[in-house]
Amino acid sequence: MDPLLEQLLAGFVDESQEIYERVVRSLMELEKNPAQGTSFDELARGLHTLKGSAATLGLEELADFAHKMEDVVLPLRGSSKPLPAPLADAVLKSLDVWIARLRATAAKGDLPDLGQSLALLEKVKPSGAAPAKEKEKKKKNGKGATAAETLAANVSRAPAPAPEPTLTVVPPSEDAQADSWRVSTRQVIALLHEVERLREVRLRIEERRREIDRALHQLDRLGIQAETAEARAALLGIRRSLHADGEEASDIVSSMEDGLKAISTMPVRTVIEPLRRAVRDICKATGKTARLSVVGAEVSLDRRVLEQLRGPLVHLVRNAVDHGLETPDLRESRGKHREGALAIRVEQQGNMLFIEVSDDGAGLDLEQIREAALRRALVPPEELASMSTLQLHQLIFRPGFSTKLEATEYSGRGVGLDVVRNQIQALQGQVEVQSVPGQSTRFVLTLPADLGSSPVLVVRCGEHQLGLPMAAVESSRAARTKDLHVGRSKAQLEHREQLIPLLDLGALVGLRQPEVPADGQPLLILQAQGRRIALCIDEVLGDRELVIRPLPAEIRELTAYQGAATLARGELVLILRPDFIVAGERRSDTALGSTRRALVVDDSLTARALHRTALETGGYVVHTASNARQALEQLRHSAYDVMVCDIGMEEIDGYQLTTAVRERAETDTMPILLVSARDSDADRQRGLAAGADGFLTKKDCVSGRLLSEISAVIARRKGAA
Amino acid sequence: MRLEPREIDGVDPSLKELLQKRAERIRRKPAEAEDENLLWVAEFPVGEETYALPLETLRAAVPLRMVTPVPLSPPHVIGILRFQGQIVAALSLASLLGGRGWREDPAVLLVVDPGFGRLVALDCERIPKPTGLPHAQVEEARARSTGAVCEITLAGTRQVNLLDLGRLMDRRQGPEKR
Repeated sequence: MDPLLEQLLAGFVDESQEIYERVVRSLMELEKNPAQGTSFDELARGLHTLKGSAATLGLEELADFAHKMEDVVLPLRGSSKPLPAPLADAVLKSLDVWIARLRATAAKGDLPDLGQSLALLEKVKPSGAAPAKEKEKKKKNGKGATAAETLAANVSRAPAPAPEPTLTVVPPSEDAQADSWRVSTRQVIALLHEVERLREVRLRIEERRREIDRALHQLDRLGIQAETAEARAALLGIRRSLHADGEEASDIVSSMEDGLKAISTMPVRTVIEPLRRAVRDICKATGKTARLSVVGAEVSLDRRVLEQLRGPLVHLVRNAVDHGLETPDLRESRGKHREGALAIRVEQQGNMLFIEVSDDGAGLDLEQIREAALRRALVPPEELASMSTLQLHQLIFRPGFSTKLEATEYSGRGVGLDVVRNQIQALQGQVEVQSVPGQSTRFVLTLPADLGSSPVLVVRCGEHQLGLPMAAVESSRAARTKDLHVGRSKAQLEHREQLIPLLDLGALVGLRQPEVPADGQPLLILQAQGRRIALCIDEVLGDRELVIRPLPAEIRELTAYQGAATLARGELVLILRPDFIVAGERRSDTALGSTRRALVVDDSLTARALHRTALETGGYVVHTASNARQALEQLRHSAYDVMVCDIGMEEIDGYQLTTAVRERAETDTMPILLVSARDSDADRQRGLAAGADGFLTKKDCVSGRLLSEISAVIARRKGAA
Repeated sequence: MRLEPREIDGVDPSLKELLQKRAERIRRKPAEAEDENLLWVAEFPVGEETYALPLETLRAAVPLRMVTPVPLSPPHVIGILRFQGQIVAALSLASLLGGRGWREDPAVLLVVDPGFGRLVALDCERIPKPTGLPHAQVEEARARSTGAVCEITLAGTRQVNLLDLGRLMDRRQGPEKR
């Protein structure tokens, strides 16, 4: 095949698939509703585009075949009745063959035969329809029927009363291609990585600006001198420019990310909508009736994930109709609606995607599962006898499992849920099944969703920024003292005439002891797992649409977080798990009341980590502060058994902090150990003079030494008391 | 929009020549390596001791900034950071080693590839310097060691602790053994 034609054909396959899906959807709607209106227009337009585009590419057989489908459908335009079921069936089956033949042509595979479908179409063709040959003659002169021709044909063929003529029939297929390109996934991913790099460049610009700030600061310390005035002015200019460049880079990154996100994700709807056709077909074949409802189809997901979800979803939906739902008569006898209810619910929580496929059918029959397992020798009888309900449910995922005695078009071959499970596991997901006998079955697919984005509320707690999935945030409000009910062990908030637990986010994530909110402090009302709580935070920073990514393996087991996301300036924000938050009340009930507490104050992240390592080994609960101001704030609300404090901190150093702590009545006897990279008698003496109880150099801060020194300062303080 | 691969052919000939010379220089073994079979390592201090890790595992040395602390994480986790689009965990080396003292607050993160498909960052007091350790001594020390650190005593009684990152990251191993 001509390489150019081959390329065009590949594009046409994709385009046709989209049209095919639209036409199928329209046909199914027209099976239930009068053959007119936008659904009919969509159907006619789709068939016409398939015909015209096939003819353009020289695929005459496919063009003629589409034309035959038009002949069957178009005469019914404007009818007040739905499309006859046999006619809809014939067109749907023909469309399947049409798209299969197109794919086979593109793949240079064996072409499916059209004979059976053509015969079927001939059989259902409305009696008043114009013979296809007549139309073919007209078409020979051009690439397809013109709008006027088609319109005329419509008017002449339509049963009375004739429809109001509308010019909705022929948007040329070329238009659809003119404003779109075909780009490979690899290229898009490469671009995503480049945007990440650009974001890092943006961070470096910011860092350069901070370096200039430091240089300016050093110049300032020298005083205003004529020699440095020029350099200072130049630095200020560069600083301003860097700031502007940084802001612009930030805007570019955001805009590129938004664009790439739009390119690389697709609504789940694109995978779910075609399932309506599967439901319809199996219902027809099995004599059942079912309605499929979908919630959350607008969630956008990585196209690659969606593509791989197609198969498992089709399988689960087919299973639900074939195995789950009862026949209408049986349903009626069981007090159910004759029409079975199938539901697909899609929900994205951070970087996790949940897809539920449920039916209100007979549920899993444990006896049938046992029999099938025995019949197919999947489990030894003695093991089967001792299996719990949950274990029996798991058997349906075994290779070769089927409760059907005979294979049908849809099931019974024992190739099924094991494949679904394998496919989901290949996406690093899992499948669970829940069932209530006689009432329902529910499959829950849990998957990581790398490229999807979700709305997140970013809040501040102490010096930390944390994100909460907006789906869990019911509302926000300010704390009012009159609404707070604070007991010895727990606090509650009176919210809309209800008392709900009041939790402190800082305490939940181990940053501080629980605090009672001050008047006017922001509170979030959260709901998850059927529980509602009020969460005390320090500040609401705003809502963002963020791409949440899994945490690195080293901390992935932390139940507090769903993942992390990058904010506009490149900093990472941890996204909390709502179920972790709402379960916080129960955790705090079981918290140890008599644990020793230490406050570590150090502006070095690594020093704080090292002190934590040593102190937690010694049985301390450790809270940290990165500067003196924050430490004083912590001390205002919480009592500590010891404070370990760095000396060399910016703004307020360790000596000044020690003095400030000693001046406050609540902390004037708290043991304080100063640590420093400096190692001189003068430093030691100055620390002790400020009120510290001990002094240790950082090189001596080996676990055992630090703990023994802490014990010593505590003992000294007690002795002094 | 056209996507162009980053290929040397597209650049200015003088720049191309410069890049090729530079690549050739990097490929060439250092002079001292010709005399002795050396393992190239990145050497850096942790408190009073000298540690090293194979140069081939080192991906980058970046300033210890923009690290997001992770409340409730194990104490050896300093936080998380973004590195070339990945979210990477920053770990305290001194803490992983079982609690060592330090002379200066670490200001550098070494992004390393421990060899199990993901990067991690380790804190470090100073930017490491590349140096060569005699292969024979390295092998001998590795044979003796059962933990994540093997001690190599060089001429002049200088001691270097060579890290085995795979073992160091394996938390199941528990406290550091030598």
